[in-house]
Amino acid sequence: MSDCTLVAAAVIEHDASMDLASDKSLFEPTVDMMVNDFDDERTLDEEEALAAGEQQDPKAELNSLQREGDMPLDELLALYGYDRSLEKPMAEQTENVINEENDKPEVSALQQFYTEPPTNEPTRCLRSGSRPPSEEDDDYDYSPDEDDWKKTIMVGSDYQAGIPEGLCSYDDALPYENEDKLLWNPTILDEKVIEDYMLAICAMNSTTGINAVPRGKQLRDDEQALFLLQQCGHNVEEALRRRRISAAAPAHASLWSEEECRNFENGLKAHGKDFHLIRQNKVKTRSVGELVQFYYIWKKTERHDIFANKARLEKKKYTLHPGHTDYMDRFLEEQEAGSGSITARPVSPVMVCAPEPPAQPDPLALGEKEVFSQLNALSPSARNLSAEESEHDVTSL
Amino acid sequence: MSEHRVAYFYNPDVGNFHYGPGHPMKPHRLAVTHSLVVNYGLHKKMQVYKPYRASALDMCRFHSEDYIEFLQNVTPQNIQSYSKDLLHYNVGDDCPVFDGLFDFCSMYTGASLEGAVKLNNNICDIAINWSGGMHHAKKFEPSGFCYINDIVIAILELLKYHPRVLYIDIDVHHGDGVQEAFYLTDRVMTVSFHKYGNYFFPGTGDMYEIGAESGRYYSVNVPLKEGIDDQSYAQVFKPVIQSVMEFYRPTAIVLQCGADSLAGDRLGCFSLSTRGHGECIKFVKSLNVPTLVVGGGGYTLRNVARCWTYETSLLVNENISEELPYTEYLQFFAPDFTLHPEISRPDNTTNANSKQYLEAITKHVYDNLKMCQHSPAVQMTHVPGDYFPDEFKVKEESDPDVKMSAEELDQKVEPKNEFYDDDKDNDKDSILDSKGP
Repeated sequence: MSDCTLVAAAVIEHDASMDLASDKSLFEPTVDMMVNDFDDERTLDEEEALAAGEQQDPKAELNSLQREGDMPLDELLALYGYDRSLEKPMAEQTENVINEENDKPEVSALQQFYTEPPTNEPTRCLRSGSRPPSEEDDDYDYSPDEDDWKKTIMVGSDYQAGIPEGLCSYDDALPYENEDKLLWNPTILDEKVIEDYMLAICAMNSTTGINAVPRGKQLRDDEQALFLLQQCGHNVEEALRRRRISAAAPAHASLWSEEECRNFENGLKAHGKDFHLIRQNKVKTRSVGELVQFYYIWKKTERHDIFANKARLEKKKYTLHPGHTDYMDRFLEEQEAGSGSITARPVSPVMVCAPEPPAQPDPLALGEKEVFSQLNALSPSARNLSAEESEHDVTSL
Repeated sequence: MSEHRVAYFYNPDVGNFHYGPGHPMKPHRLAVTHSLVVNYGLHKKMQVYKPYRASALDMCRFHSEDYIEFLQNVTPQNIQSYSKDLLHYNVGDDCPVFDGLFDFCSMYTGASLEGAVKLNNNICDIAINWSGGMHHAKKFEPSGFCYINDIVIAILELLKYHPRVLYIDIDVHHGDGVQEAFYLTDRVMTVSFHKYGNYFFPGTGDMYEIGAESGRYYSVNVPLKEGIDDQSYAQVFKPVIQSVMEFYRPTAIVLQCGADSLAGDRLGCFSLSTRGHGECIKFVKSLNVPTLVVGGGGYTLRNVARCWTYETSLLVNENISEELPYTEYLQFFAPDFTLHPEISRPDNTTNANSKQYLEAITKHVYDNLKMCQHSPAVQMTHVPGDYFPDEFKVKEESDPDVKMSAEELDQKVEPKNEFYDDDKDNDKDSILDSKGP
């Protein structure tokens, strides 16, 4: 290993002197140098010596690598198609390599080398590791150096799991058993009975709320109903009876008030998709989890389309009027605009973002909607696309 | 066809977490998947559990105590006071600290752990936890959106009863965390199919990573190039798994079904269709070995939900219609609203895997597998050949006679598996010594 390091060091030195040499072309000797007969040849000699050394070095390096049973890099590269010219004899090479691999004399020396912590290696990101970051990731930040994209599996007690020796049985009651909750067991009742039960439940639901929506061909499951059936000891009559009694109470999360929705949208505008901040500053009545859940439903509603459209236009206006970068400023202006000062300040770019568009139809806002619906008509997937785009707009606000 | 008993683990809260603005990992894909599963009527075909939530102690079976303590305590509010730890634990862009981070981890980890327990106790033949599969997490740090390695923890649980556990990973990224955790042992064979090369995350997983010491030849890697399609994938997957089964004869399988190997994934670069992806699940199911099925990557939400719903239907042996049922998330599936939409290849990626290359790599794997004599040291001391020894069941039933309290017994069992001293070297040396060649 040590000579390998030396080689590396020599190469680095060499590179450094190369850099010096290439700088020479731009280098103007000082008067002092000219007077004292500055010897340029000396560095050239050094360079030549280094170059001569380097000619031997690759062999030495390769030998040492082979001695350790590591595989030659060029073959590896060839295998993965980095050198197109080498691709044909690949199969042969594979075999050679396998033989070498099998002949590996000592692995442990290598491993000790591996276990040394990597020094100052930049971290690689999964997010940036594949597609060009252009489309969605504003927060893209890092592209790894040419050489170190390959990582090694680390060996040592800091990395491996402790494997229990031998086999054992649980002895006592199952661990964890008391903490999970069986919600449904399919083996107790006949399939036909369950199906009939589900049909009966569906019939009971079909008149109210979300259940009034036609279901298509599928007979859907109802988690609550199945759980209820299990709670009733799989007695269908009993389950149906209880269901009838409690039918009035909807099991789903409580509905969001108009105010909560509006606060949520304002929060999204102010903080992007940082639901933690939205909850902290805007929608204190809901948990972060509820906000996330709401967001994904909301995202595909018309309400979102209106919101996104507005946000986009707003952004455009702001790029036309740079200087309005302060969130607080903008927020205040929004408030003013919302409270009816629209007519008083017709020039303000903020006027388009009246916070309650459906209530008082603003002529401008309506115009935007029309544009938007035309967009929709153009391509069937436009809606989807624009929804996703606007998501980013919101993020980058 | 034989019917498998399927257990399905889902915590209704697991989808309601958010990694932060612009982050491609979206836990809500789990809620969308579940909604499809229920509305397709698959729910009633399975044992459904609201799973146990893993404790810090469970997590310490693999991870270091310091790291778990950090995860348990850090929040977006107090993150400032942890600035040193943030660097140390590689927390940041890929693995941000978000609201409810530890809850999220304990939910998905608990579900995988419980899946393993149910398999061990022969309560089911297949356990499904789509929220699990976080295969990048390391002992001391998070990596690639994964904080706790639920797979490693579940495998450790399976090892209580199973002499040999096979781990199969069809995520587009290399299953480095799991491979690393079991790199030195022959009791777990890890097999990963993934994109390798050209800066692709995580940078490990070339075909010469084969394991070390006792684990030599028990890590199998199948590096692939971008654009692989259904046919080519099956061409490698089936023979490789077939020979793995032949040579290793696992008694339990953990299957990681990362859906980022699908065409059109936001981070992936393969061209698999949901059918091609599902073909692997079908194949593993046909092996008739107790299997824990977990999720993993998958960053185009609608396709992840389609894929895992379809695979749930395969596992319970139900045909489901091409037309998606009505759900609150229906709009996500516009404009086609179908289960298997036409694959769109966004950047005209061609399949860079020549037939020749795939043959070479399959042969390489086969040659390596021949080298592993399929008899780990612990093998046949207690366990008879069939997968679910009945004697264990009998033991369970006789439990009421046991006089010790549950806690006492837990404490008796735990130390070896669950705690690490700070001087880990000693610990490990003893394991290695006792194992021998």
